[in-house]
Amino acid sequence: MTRGAPSLSRRHLLAGASGLSVSALAGCAERFWSRAENNGPDQVALTIKTVPADDDAMASMIVSRFRENVEAAGIDVSPEPITESELYRDVLLEGEYDVFVIRHPGFAEFDDLYGLLHSQFVSEGGWQNPFHFSSVTADDFLEQQRAESGETRRETLAELFEYLTETTPFTVVAYPDRIGGTRRSIDAPAPPQRAIEFIDLLSTAPAAAGDRDGPLTVGIYGDGLTGRLNPIAVDQNRIPGLLDLVYAPLVRRPSESWEGAAAGISPSQPPSNAESVSPEEYIPWLADDVRWDDTGRLSATVSLRPGLTWHDGEPLDADDVAFTFRLLADTSLGTADSGIPAPRYRGRQTLVDTPDQIEVVDGLTLEIPFGTTTAPAAAQFLTVPILPQHIWEPRSELVAERQTRALTTNNDAPVGSGLLEFGDAGSDALVLEPVADHVLRDSVSTDMPAVLDGFPQFEGLRYNISPNVGTMVDALLAGDVDVTASPLPPEQIESLADDNAVSLLTAPSTSMYLIGYNTHHPELGNPNVRRILSRLIDREYIVSELFDGLATAPTTQESLLGYRDSDDRSDPLPLAGFPGTDGELDVERVRRLFDEIGYRYEDGVLLR
Amino acid sequence: MALASVVLQLALVVATMLVTATLVVIGPRRLVTALQDVRWRLEMCLLPVATLALVLFLRWSTVDIAVRIEHRVLGNNITPRLFELEQLLFPVNPVAALQTFQSPELTSFFAFVYIYGYAFLLLFPIIAYFALETMDDLSTLLLAFTVNYTIGLACYVLFIAYGPRNFDPLLFEGLLYDGFPQMRRLTNQVNQSTNVFPSLHTSLSMTVFFLAWLTREKYPLWVPVSGVLAISIAVSTMYLGIHWFSDVVAGTVLALISVHIGRSYSIRDLGRSIG
Repeated sequence: MTRGAPSLSRRHLLAGASGLSVSALAGCAERFWSRAENNGPDQVALTIKTVPADDDAMASMIVSRFRENVEAAGIDVSPEPITESELYRDVLLEGEYDVFVIRHPGFAEFDDLYGLLHSQFVSEGGWQNPFHFSSVTADDFLEQQRAESGETRRETLAELFEYLTETTPFTVVAYPDRIGGTRRSIDAPAPPQRAIEFIDLLSTAPAAAGDRDGPLTVGIYGDGLTGRLNPIAVDQNRIPGLLDLVYAPLVRRPSESWEGAAAGISPSQPPSNAESVSPEEYIPWLADDVRWDDTGRLSATVSLRPGLTWHDGEPLDADDVAFTFRLLADTSLGTADSGIPAPRYRGRQTLVDTPDQIEVVDGLTLEIPFGTTTAPAAAQFLTVPILPQHIWEPRSELVAERQTRALTTNNDAPVGSGLLEFGDAGSDALVLEPVADHVLRDSVSTDMPAVLDGFPQFEGLRYNISPNVGTMVDALLAGDVDVTASPLPPEQIESLADDNAVSLLTAPSTSMYLIGYNTHHPELGNPNVRRILSRLIDREYIVSELFDGLATAPTTQESLLGYRDSDDRSDPLPLAGFPGTDGELDVERVRRLFDEIGYRYEDGVLLR
Repeated sequence: MALASVVLQLALVVATMLVTATLVVIGPRRLVTALQDVRWRLEMCLLPVATLALVLFLRWSTVDIAVRIEHRVLGNNITPRLFELEQLLFPVNPVAALQTFQSPELTSFFAFVYIYGYAFLLLFPIIAYFALETMDDLSTLLLAFTVNYTIGLACYVLFIAYGPRNFDPLLFEGLLYDGFPQMRRLTNQVNQSTNVFPSLHTSLSMTVFFLAWLTREKYPLWVPVSGVLAISIAVSTMYLGIHWFSDVVAGTVLALISVHIGRSYSIRDLGRSIG
């Protein structure tokens, strides 16, 4: 490994010193002045932010390989480990980063790209265009696909992916399998991630004979996990499923990968998020019916289940739902100029014409106008968590410039309307208790979601928080934990192998490790540079060597941009090609690549 | 519950070590004499004890604020600088070089030294100096500890630094928590993973060793024991992938400063010069 920066400064120093003496001796002032007046070109420099290895060993390893390659390409790289919540603040709010590597939970719908890449969000916080990417072409495609359906939408999306492949605002490194462990007595099909998967676990009778007392215990690990329980903040809580269980949505998106794992479908058929889920497949939750009307402009009539209440006993009605959408669009509720939108769920808010046009027909019915948006994209809008008006309305007050209390509050005791309510949180556990008289548990109704058959088999849900992976595994082996939810690094698999009471769980997923670029960086603003950088990591090698094969490398345009397909239709792309073999970079080839786009090298250092 | 069992184990092991060392190094006679006038001794070292307790209490009570200032206000992440500096100075990073000698026995030894040896090394001199005729050495020790903590904790707020194991798990291994994950329950209680520069493990251990050298006439046996332990602890922080070489160097410098201050001043002097 050779370091670029020091040799450069040494070179500068020597050049300066020799220049000075030569000019002094020869009396040649011209040379001296030209050296003094012109600073030579500098080395291209990048910082890479990611979480420390304690929090995500795999992200750290990916950065390690990436750093070596980028360094070999003559770039001055500084990897900067930083706690997850601070990383999200830096990347999503402050824009203080050059490159970041992160594990993303995965996209649900093609329309997620709208929030992620539309230039309308270039100055907003959250997962709204954190790359500061702005392109009229991409904007057009993003708007177009919203208004289209079927084959036409498919074609627009194909063009969008082609364009994004050329411009590469971010790139996927690998889709890690979900890895975890379960006690045989529970026999979970996969490590649970989403709320709907936890609910399915809670509804399924434990495999062991006899009734089981106590809550379902889920193992997680990390630092400061219970500090922030605010569902609309960026540095939002990282406990899988938690906030979506407490705050129920109108409808829930079904989990295909979970159902696949439960049905024993082999991992060779990965889950796909590259197919649209039709609105009818969404599971009605707080809503008992959603009627779509697409004659003319699209609208949806949502009717709520009668008798819904918040966990504090207050009734839940259509006003709360309309309020939630208003709050997400402007957390100051009209007090601040041009509004302060919530950084989460922002892309979905733009699916509606204006939140003010949502009409509360009566206490249980709302009409939502979607304008030109098509149903597959619009259905996503109905999955945002519904918030209680009586608690969140006072939080619209401003606490600082462009900051409302709704965004800064830790929301220590969340009050939602889900089947589980917040019980207690400490440094080593967080407890959710079942709501005894919840409408969705009312066996009289006939149109209950099938996933709730048998709910609940446990007295609530207990997250058992360990300080690191090793202690989480120990807790599973000791029987203190029924199933793990935080991802297990592949190297931990062996520790589960010898125990008969525990089984290893692996299931393919749509979560992904991605590299994101800040296009405000002078070099990263150049799409050609981003494209070359995106090739400087051997994805196949990462999957086989670092993940022990328990991940999938993206090979198609779509999968490099976060959309996995069950069958890889297109051929592997030359664009993704790693210039080297078996993880070893061919330095000459990389230099030629940078040469071709107009960059220069001096002493192995890439110059600006 | 798991934390309690880890703490209990620590207490048992360290107590055993302390009793053995007390009998061998201090001797029963000296101890009995000391115990006869406990009151006078306690009065003499009340001020340094109170000062140390105050610093520790301040740290404990302001940990939230300190973390916020460290990350949000100052945001001085020096981790890549430490890595680059060492890459410039050495052909192979000292931590990686040490880890090439890795063996299960060595890992167990260094883990033992890092946790149990360290606790013993800090506690034993308190007993030993307490048993002396005057309380000067004990006051010096306690003041030096206080200085260590004060400067060390100030550095922790000024600099965000992650250790080698957190920086790059492919170059450096986190041997302690890979092998003994439960220890994290213990270390989590007293430290955050960004508190790396300087190494307080090194500085406090070296402080004890330097003071052992200065009191060699009173406890000749303690010099080699504390020397071997202190150096093993400094090496263990690197071998286990917890600290950079730079942290250990900075820790040793901090120890020298602390011992100098501890020897030259008393709490009363410091109070007067500030007042």
